[in-house]
Amino acid sequence: MAWRRVLLALLLAAATAAQAYEITDDTGQAQHFDAPPARIVSLLPSLTETVCALGACERVVGRDRYSNWPAAVRARPEVGGGLDPNVEAVVALKPDAVLLGTSSRASVRLRALGLKVLALEPHTRADLGRVTRVLAELLQLPRADADALLARIDAGVAAAAESLPPDARGQSVYYEVMPTPHAAGRGSFIDELIQALGLVNIIPAALGPFPKINPELVVRADPDLIMISLQGAADLARRPGWARLRALREGHVCEFDAAQRDILVRPGPRMPEAARLMADCAAHRLTPEK
Amino acid sequence: MSSALVAPVVNAPASAGMRVAWLAALLLALALLGLALGASVGSTGFDSLLRARHDPAAWQIVWDIRLPRTLGAWLAGALLGLAGAVAQGLFRNPLADPFLLGSASGAALAVALVFAVLGAGGMVGGGASSAALAQLASPVLARLGFTGAAFVGALAGVLLALVLAHGVQQTLRLLLAGVIVGYVLGAVRDLVQLANPDVLVAMQGFTLGVTGFVGWGACALMAAVLAPLVLAAWAMARVLDALALGEATAHSLGLPLAPLRALLIGVLALATGAAVAQTGLIGFVGLVAPHLARSLARCTHGPLLLLATLVGGLLLMAADIAARVLIAPQELPVGVLTAVLGGFYLLWLMHRRTQPDAGT
Amino acid sequence: MAPDASPSIAVSARLSVARIGKRQILHEIDLQLAAGRWSAVVGPNGAGKSTLLRVLAGLLSCDGRVLLLGRPLADWPGRERARCLAWLGQQEGGGEDLRAWDVAMLGRLPHRAWLAPPTAEDQAVVAQALRAAQAWELRERRLAELSGGERQRVLLARLLAVQARVLLMDEPLAHLDPPHQADWLATVRALVAAGATVVSVLHELNMALQADDIVVVRAGRIAHHGAATDAATHQALQAAFDGRIAIRQVGDDWVALPRAGAREAA
Repeated sequence: MAWRRVLLALLLAAATAAQAYEITDDTGQAQHFDAPPARIVSLLPSLTETVCALGACERVVGRDRYSNWPAAVRARPEVGGGLDPNVEAVVALKPDAVLLGTSSRASVRLRALGLKVLALEPHTRADLGRVTRVLAELLQLPRADADALLARIDAGVAAAAESLPPDARGQSVYYEVMPTPHAAGRGSFIDELIQALGLVNIIPAALGPFPKINPELVVRADPDLIMISLQGAADLARRPGWARLRALREGHVCEFDAAQRDILVRPGPRMPEAARLMADCAAHRLTPEK
Repeated sequence: MSSALVAPVVNAPASAGMRVAWLAALLLALALLGLALGASVGSTGFDSLLRARHDPAAWQIVWDIRLPRTLGAWLAGALLGLAGAVAQGLFRNPLADPFLLGSASGAALAVALVFAVLGAGGMVGGGASSAALAQLASPVLARLGFTGAAFVGALAGVLLALVLAHGVQQTLRLLLAGVIVGYVLGAVRDLVQLANPDVLVAMQGFTLGVTGFVGWGACALMAAVLAPLVLAAWAMARVLDALALGEATAHSLGLPLAPLRALLIGVLALATGAAVAQTGLIGFVGLVAPHLARSLARCTHGPLLLLATLVGGLLLMAADIAARVLIAPQELPVGVLTAVLGGFYLLWLMHRRTQPDAGT
Repeated sequence: MAPDASPSIAVSARLSVARIGKRQILHEIDLQLAAGRWSAVVGPNGAGKSTLLRVLAGLLSCDGRVLLLGRPLADWPGRERARCLAWLGQQEGGGEDLRAWDVAMLGRLPHRAWLAPPTAEDQAVVAQALRAAQAWELRERRLAELSGGERQRVLLARLLAVQARVLLMDEPLAHLDPPHQADWLATVRALVAAGATVVSVLHELNMALQADDIVVVRAGRIAHHGAATDAATHQALQAAFDGRIAIRQVGDDWVALPRAGAREAA
């Protein structure tokens, strides 16, 4: 009966081999996995949120200091920032996989220490689709799970767009990311949300996704709606020439606090909430009430 | 005065040699102590050291992370201390340091440019070429590339400052030129970062000084640069001694000033470039280490360069350990700590100097 | 001295113009300084005395030629030239943290092998130089702690340590009080007696009149070059200073007395 043992061994080997797989990250590097990772350290908030949305939150054993959703993840140990993680703390957690953004230098060091590092960074909805599928494959979840999540996201965004009253559509928007001023331009994730809602971004496409603009541009374009952080909103009127902007005079300014901004800037499973934040604010400000 | 020799028994002052030798031994012993300390502190504390024999992860933490990081901090500090001592001797100014002469900003600009071309960790949307280059560049080559680029940048920064100041005769002019070059190159770096947000993101940790990413490879590179530079600088130390009395005197003493000065500037640039490429911009070490060394022993430039190197290494190593310990398990950026330590020392130095010296 | 043995020339300079930056400092210089003599270079402020000395030391380039012991200065290899010709500049700053001993030891640089520590001979020469310059007690102290006169003596020791045959000194008596000036005089006389050539730019005319020869520089030109005891030299000196000095003999020495102005004693 030796041949049965050999067959069994071959089958087991084949089974193990069949389980082994490779994941290629955004920088083109491939990591080999024999089994789905049970311990994951995530150093980018959007990746943390996506992993949790795919139902694998308990596998996240460490996070960066900015990953704060869902609540379960806040209990996990914090290992520094996404760009400058505490290498020792990451290694001490003995992760099977480390997820981080593509512009972090830490990937080189962590790989040199023998960790399996995947650099993924979604900047747009299309990126989000790709990254979600990659993460699903990493976790060895059925592809249908990823697709279902993406479908829920799209449906949520569409619902938010529906909630916007018709006369608010087509209005022009200026979204300020930083008070320098850096604006959200075409090709950025925020711009995609704006477009999904049927609004128009005043920043011309030629300026790229996060241009540092001349404030004159905003004065000339005179947007119908301004979206900005709470702190930024406080000095808007003090900027030269801005006091006579329609949006300021008529109170068409959406102010977002820190928690809301976290939702807005991360291309992840909370995209429907981001869209809803924008739609609610736009509806509230743009439609004349009473 | 005839040329007949006086009897060889001369009541010469005790050469500083013995004192310097003892000091060097002490500094090295302290460095070894620091290395041991550095291996035992960090986010997981002392028990990583205790478990190291049984737990491979703990072993990795101690051997692959803490030790090279601590050693790397010493090596980078040594390079900066050497560069500072050479700068202060070459430009006859106690305020000269790699930062004030534009070499550090040149190195940082070069690193930013390399990031922009090669991609910080590989850029996806940034064009297929950068991702391909990032794949081609093995870690060794990438590290050499960064160091080489930083060296070229540091050299360019110093040369630019020299050209602007029309040479080193007027030290005020030279320092002004260095400050100008520092600002201008810093502005160019800002432009590069603005044009390319990925570079901005990648450089953020860089400008505060980062010792956390130093591994054995980086240590090997820095050590390979430090050893020949210390020897070369020590061999040329008498140029610095002669220059202390002025260029004309040095020339009249028969020293081939131009080639030796060029070599010393090369030493300055390479030391700064090597340190900046591995650990980012860390200020004050280059400025303070030579002063500390001088206050420990009065000697000519030969021993002074050696002492400044050892002191610089110890200083940065101490700052790195403190950065890890003070708010463990989190970390402070090491550049902040060197600024605080260096600032306090300079304050004390200023306080001491304002007390009038004995009779004129 | 045999009448036909003309003294050899230690340093000579023949140049049409010497510039600092764009300004022309020296014009049409033709100067031969004999070996084994002490020449004092004097003249009004801004006449170009220091510049002349720098040209002779090879520190300043000029449109012309400078010969050291018969060979063009440019042909001398650096260290050999430094062993033969030593220069002490005016107001030399720096070196604050060096000890006096180390500063004096710098004078031995042209003699020392590149990486070698100071030999016993170096130490002996430096000790001798420090004693000759009355700076021996200062040997352990840093330059920053010394007074002006003490510092000057240390710098002189540095010059003496070179044991050069030709010594060029620019204002060597700066900050020195009269006793130390007298010591310096004795040292220079001993050097010359041993065969060295000394050229010194001096503000102190009384000291200059003790030299063997005087070179009068005025407005970038050599107004006169002759023995210090000659009447012609004294006339040239008085003329160079626009008659504001009077040269009188006191015992064996000549002294220069300042004169107030147009008023002249009979």
